[in-house]
Amino acid sequence: MLVPKPLSSRVGNPRGAVTTKGRIAALSREYEAVYIFDSALEDATIAEKLEKHHALLAASEPITLDHWGRRQLAYKIGSKDTGYYVVARFKAEGKVLPEFERSLKLDDSVVRYLISVHEHELGAPPMTEEQLAARRARDGDDDDDEE
Amino acid sequence: MRRPKKTCPVTEAGIRFIDYKDERFLSRFVTDTGKILPSRLSGVDSRHQRQLAKAIKKARYLALLPYIRTQSAP
Repeated sequence: MLVPKPLSSRVGNPRGAVTTKGRIAALSREYEAVYIFDSALEDATIAEKLEKHHALLAASEPITLDHWGRRQLAYKIGSKDTGYYVVARFKAEGKVLPEFERSLKLDDSVVRYLISVHEHELGAPPMTEEQLAARRARDGDDDDDEE
Repeated sequence: MRRPKKTCPVTEAGIRFIDYKDERFLSRFVTDTGKILPSRLSGVDSRHQRQLAKAIKKARYLALLPYIRTQSAP
């Protein structure tokens, strides 16, 4: 009788290479997530939901949140014209992300989300408010020139 | 006659990482209809053009930039 070999011996990772399920999953990395919540929700409800989702991350360091608030979407998503934007930056292990994404996906109040590895200049201090304001002013000037 | 070489606007602006959340900056590199502007027109160097393309696509997904803007819209 033909007995199929156990799956582990046929496929996968015979040489023990670095895989997402293996050592990379345990790596702690800095991620950035942008959520678009249903703008009909109240601010307190959104904060509550964020806390619930972020609890799954088991983040060692405090999560920095940046609430952009309600803003116009560039195009309609379903029937929605506006969304409540939140940007979160956190340090987490790769293995907690699938469960985290699942909970976001199941949450109907999250219109859209994007999780990416936070790319930034290592060692560079974050821009101060004045620098940001200057940059905004400069961008504004550029726009005026084009018009 | 050779045209003078264009300088990369991203390098000139002193931006090290192109932020997909900065839709005001990204909107300078898309056409009126929302297409990504080719680097031969914008003068962006190839390294930054690759970063821009990715950033614009992320911004589109997050509804910060439109995928397409029709003529009737302002």
